[in-house]
Amino acid sequence: MSNEPKTPPPGQPIDPGAQALADALHSSFGIVKFVMAVLFVVFLFSGFFTVGPREKAIKLRFGKPVGEGDKVLLGSGAHWAWPYPIDEVIKIPITEVQEVRSRSHWFMQTAVQEAAGEVPPTGPSLNPALDGYALTADRNIIHAKASVRYRIEDPVRCVFDFSSGADQAYGLTGISNAVLNALDNALVYAAARARLDDVLREKTAFQDAVQRRVVQLVLEQKLGITVEQCLVETRNPRQLDMAFKNVTDAGQRARAALTEASSYQNKKMNEAEGEAAARVNAAQAERSDMVAKIEGDAAIFKKVLPYYLADPQLFVQQELNKVLGRAIAGVDYKMYLPTTPDGKPMELRLNLNREPMKIGGAKPAN
Amino acid sequence: MKKNLLTIIVSVVLALVFVMILFVFQVRQSEVAVVTRFGQPVRDVTTPGAYFRLPPGIESVYKLDQRIQNFEDTFNETYTADGNNLLASVYVGWRISDAKAFFPKFKNGSVKEAERNLKDIVTQAKAAVVGKHPLGDFVNANAQDLKFDAIEAEIKALVQAQVAANNSGIRIEYLGVKRLGLPESVTESVFALMTADRKKLADQLSEEGNSAARKIKASADREAQLLISTAEGEARRIKGEGDAVAAAVYPVFQQNPELDKFLRELEALEASLKERSILIFDSRTTPFNLLNNTLPNKSSK
Repeated sequence: MSNEPKTPPPGQPIDPGAQALADALHSSFGIVKFVMAVLFVVFLFSGFFTVGPREKAIKLRFGKPVGEGDKVLLGSGAHWAWPYPIDEVIKIPITEVQEVRSRSHWFMQTAVQEAAGEVPPTGPSLNPALDGYALTADRNIIHAKASVRYRIEDPVRCVFDFSSGADQAYGLTGISNAVLNALDNALVYAAARARLDDVLREKTAFQDAVQRRVVQLVLEQKLGITVEQCLVETRNPRQLDMAFKNVTDAGQRARAALTEASSYQNKKMNEAEGEAAARVNAAQAERSDMVAKIEGDAAIFKKVLPYYLADPQLFVQQELNKVLGRAIAGVDYKMYLPTTPDGKPMELRLNLNREPMKIGGAKPAN
Repeated sequence: MKKNLLTIIVSVVLALVFVMILFVFQVRQSEVAVVTRFGQPVRDVTTPGAYFRLPPGIESVYKLDQRIQNFEDTFNETYTADGNNLLASVYVGWRISDAKAFFPKFKNGSVKEAERNLKDIVTQAKAAVVGKHPLGDFVNANAQDLKFDAIEAEIKALVQAQVAANNSGIRIEYLGVKRLGLPESVTESVFALMTADRKKLADQLSEEGNSAARKIKASADREAQLLISTAEGEARRIKGEGDAVAAAVYPVFQQNPELDKFLRELEALEASLKERSILIFDSRTTPFNLLNNTLPNKSSK
């Protein structure tokens, strides 16, 4: 059976109209064949697809992912798949490292305020509908926000086991929500076990506690990710900024007092060490002087003893004269009182002040 | 013949496509399909692949999302066993475990409707469990007394039991506390207490700092005095050694104590006349006595 127009048997006359119709149909069928061939080629080449640099693709064959583990993810470049309904290609914006941020326990702050580092004005209380916070073990209030950076370890689990919302779309929204919930839970859990001052002072320990909890939940809930890094920022309620500042100031004053005391201690000890060394050195010098002098005296004694024994009177007179001679030469002011006409020594009366006047000192004013 | 073969192939392909559209449906990895016959669920398909079906009009195929759905319940107020007002919200990860049960329970397997229903169950379970525990079970520095995990497990078990009792075809994969808080009026009271605590802490820090500083200074004074006293003792010992050496020399002077006395007096005399001295002599003092014989005597004139 053929749709092509029949040619009349030889010898029969050809109707010009039928001939024209046959030619037209022949041309049309040629066009149809050409279009079909083009469509077939297009159909075959429609299986080619490209994956961008910041995305991955998963190929489903009759609904089931092709490949296992990491091989299920197709990297950037050109790939081929059978046309639907045999194969279906799902593209997912997977970067090397994913990140979620939690602000459920932070006070209300717009993105602009956060970027500018501005803290909005406060009221006397916290509105639970607007302001987030966590309760600490000592039943105080603290603000905390955190971020988790993670790597997709099991893409099939992450994409096909966590819903990304309406229309059964594929993506990473579902796993992101699951990680975010785990992070929020970790903040509540870690704060519930720690005292306020521990959270504020031991920030690294608190951050580690949050990360441990996140990792624990990731394993328990089989999220198919690996946590790379967890960063946590905490702060006291804004309503208590002044009270906390007073504590900080008091701490600084206490440290200043300790520093001053430490300086005093160093100074005092240095002075004492100097004084002690000086006293010991002085004693050693005194000892050396005394020993040297006594030995010198003994030597002199031994030397003059024979002369003294020979003529004590002469020795005494000579030695006395020598000393007086040296002494008189060195004395600044000497006064000689001659004998009065009656043969008695002249009388000299001195009016002595309590403090004797310095010889050669300033003259008293007139 | 060649042209006929091509026509046959194209026809077969078109027929196959038509048959597949009518009689085959596909279930993806993330889906579960419910097949209804004349409106009644007759089977569900939970594994991915291509499956046969009767044509539309006889059988219909509904595809449901089998993945875990996350939702968070309302952050609302409950009462703890010891009468504290506590705000709490939990998050739940759930999924369809029995599509045949789930599908008729919620209109055409609506996930949103299921979540509305589940939210009510979760809120009730949360209130029931929170009411059994004192506040110390939720927040406590002592890890032994903290019942955080146990509370989460209790809520999850209660929710799971309820959805099972309702034959909802739902399985709770996980459940956790997302937020804990206090009513707004209570936060103001907490701030007042925290302010008082901070003041106490500030006073304590100041006092501790001052006290420690005083201790350091007193200790420094004591240690410095001890150092000087020790040095003084050492100095005395050294001087004593000098005295001992001097004493060993004394027998030399005992050979003639009068000479020794004279030499020391002579030494003292010389030392006393060294500086700032005014010396007044009369004519009887040696050597000025010599002047008596040389100066003219007025009385003799």
